[in-house]
Amino acid sequence: MRRSHARRCNLELWPPLLFITLATLSVVLLPILVPMDPDAQSLANRLEGPSLAKPFGTDHLGRDIFSRIVYGGRFSLAIAAIATIATSTIGVCLGLLSAMKRGWIDEFLTRTNDMLLALPEIVVALLVIAIMGPGFASMIVAVTIMGWTPTARLVRSLSFEILSKDYVEVARHLGCSKWFIIRHHVIPGLASPVMAQTALRFGLLLVGLGALSYLGVGVQPPQSDWGSMLADAQPYAARAPWGLLAPGAAIFIVTLSITLLGNAITHRTGRRDLLLIEANSPDKKASHVQ
Amino acid sequence: MSTLIARRFLGLVAIALLSSFVVFLIPFITPGDPVRKLLRARMDVGPADAAAVQAYAQQFGLDAPLWRQFLSWVTRFLTGDMGISYTSLTPVFDQVMPATAITLTLAGGAMVVAVLISLALGLVCAVSTGRWPDRVITSFTHALVSIPEYAIAPLLVVIFALKLALLPSAGWAGPASWVLPIVVLALRPISFFTVAVRSGMLDALAKEHIVAARARGLGERRTVLTHVIPHGLLPLWTMMGVWFAGLLGGSVIVEVIFAIPGMGRLVYEAVLNADIPVAQGGVVVVVVLAVVVTTLVDLGHVAFDPTVRSRIRHA
Repeated sequence: MRRSHARRCNLELWPPLLFITLATLSVVLLPILVPMDPDAQSLANRLEGPSLAKPFGTDHLGRDIFSRIVYGGRFSLAIAAIATIATSTIGVCLGLLSAMKRGWIDEFLTRTNDMLLALPEIVVALLVIAIMGPGFASMIVAVTIMGWTPTARLVRSLSFEILSKDYVEVARHLGCSKWFIIRHHVIPGLASPVMAQTALRFGLLLVGLGALSYLGVGVQPPQSDWGSMLADAQPYAARAPWGLLAPGAAIFIVTLSITLLGNAITHRTGRRDLLLIEANSPDKKASHVQ
Repeated sequence: MSTLIARRFLGLVAIALLSSFVVFLIPFITPGDPVRKLLRARMDVGPADAAAVQAYAQQFGLDAPLWRQFLSWVTRFLTGDMGISYTSLTPVFDQVMPATAITLTLAGGAMVVAVLISLALGLVCAVSTGRWPDRVITSFTHALVSIPEYAIAPLLVVIFALKLALLPSAGWAGPASWVLPIVVLALRPISFFTVAVRSGMLDALAKEHIVAARARGLGERRTVLTHVIPHGLLPLWTMMGVWFAGLLGGSVIVEVIFAIPGMGRLVYEAVLNADIPVAQGGVVVVVVLAVVVTTLVDLGHVAFDPTVRSRIRHA
């Protein structure tokens, strides 16, 4: 029983890790190693099917879809990574602040969190873009305003759990400072759940940021990412479905891999309930304490 | 219970006011002269020369302090006067209301489909934990979360509308045109709901009061029906609230792809065209609806869950 469990964890861990490494490496290294021009148009060869020279075919301007996927991936993955780091950092800091300070700071942050939970994410993003104008910065701000809340909620409830443990009480009586307790007791306890959550968030952000580009309010031409490639390919979907399949599959595979990776980390912590944290409502706090 | 309702209601009003204030500020923080923008939202033709602008501004009270302008803006909103659209030159209210009805139908349909499918899938998972049906369904739900709507929707259109000619490819006319958008919109909720049902049921099965019920000699069928299922559905209920609220505005992608004249598309096009009054009206209505739904779900949660009820009573 234990061995089969271990094997399943490895199956959940290694293939996704391999895919993500592969995707990252090809996006970073391929343009350096293989000469390719994602913007070279060739109207004579437009909407060509997959071939040896052009493995994913060409788009409506005769551009090579494979090299566009590689170059577009740079934007998609980099923006999603920046947004993930921003949301996780803010979430961890505010969650810790809530748990350590308590009182009105905690009350204020929790209320803000509940309030944001009720707002539709993409409408808020559209509003931010309406105010700031489209572009990289507003994309990241747009998703960060809403994105820090799940991490903050997770960190807050886990920190409360850890702070009520006997060993923290002992540390307090030994005269350890708050900062010491955070560094040596709280943060180690948070590390793997937060990592799991961060992986899941990366997947959701990759899809969400792609949606903004798809709608034309994200990455602006002449630059393109996987989302805007999908938007470009849509009018020609019946004639050249590979134009949709390639970027769609790219988003799908990376998101699935990172989601599985997050799950593998969660299973290692033995806390399956954490996967549900997204649905955490104010009244659900108690159910997280087993 | 009544103090709780009162508190939640106050919270609701506070959130609605706070987010409307942000929305109210849009003309002031976007580039351009706010007075001219506000005048355009009140009259279908904008005055040209500076003297006329000043005269109208005085007439409409646009020289008053910000908080008073906000109050009168909110009052006009409550009476249904949301201003005039920059692009269509018709009252915003007349555009927002039909769009709301369509989006409610779309989101409601997606919720019903998602709940029915995920109840079946989640229950199968819960009774077969660790065996192949559970594993297959769990992998399937992971795959569903990772599919972007904007990739799957055009593919479904190609297959079902263009190649097979079974369903219309776009529009909102009659049940046949509802099928594809509702299915696409239901995909993500299905995966989240299935996980919620599965873990809710497993949690419920392991609870002490189930053991107690069995020890009291309650039959297996009654134990499951009266104790396991109601308890096990609580996570689903919570999640339904969050998702329904999210779908009200989150259906933007689906509405754009299928050319559905709903709320999401209205706000999206308003943002693209810098049509401030429509964007304001749409966002405020979406936010208020979302907050109302979330509050109702929270109250329902309290009504259903005896442990939460008793915690509130003793607090």
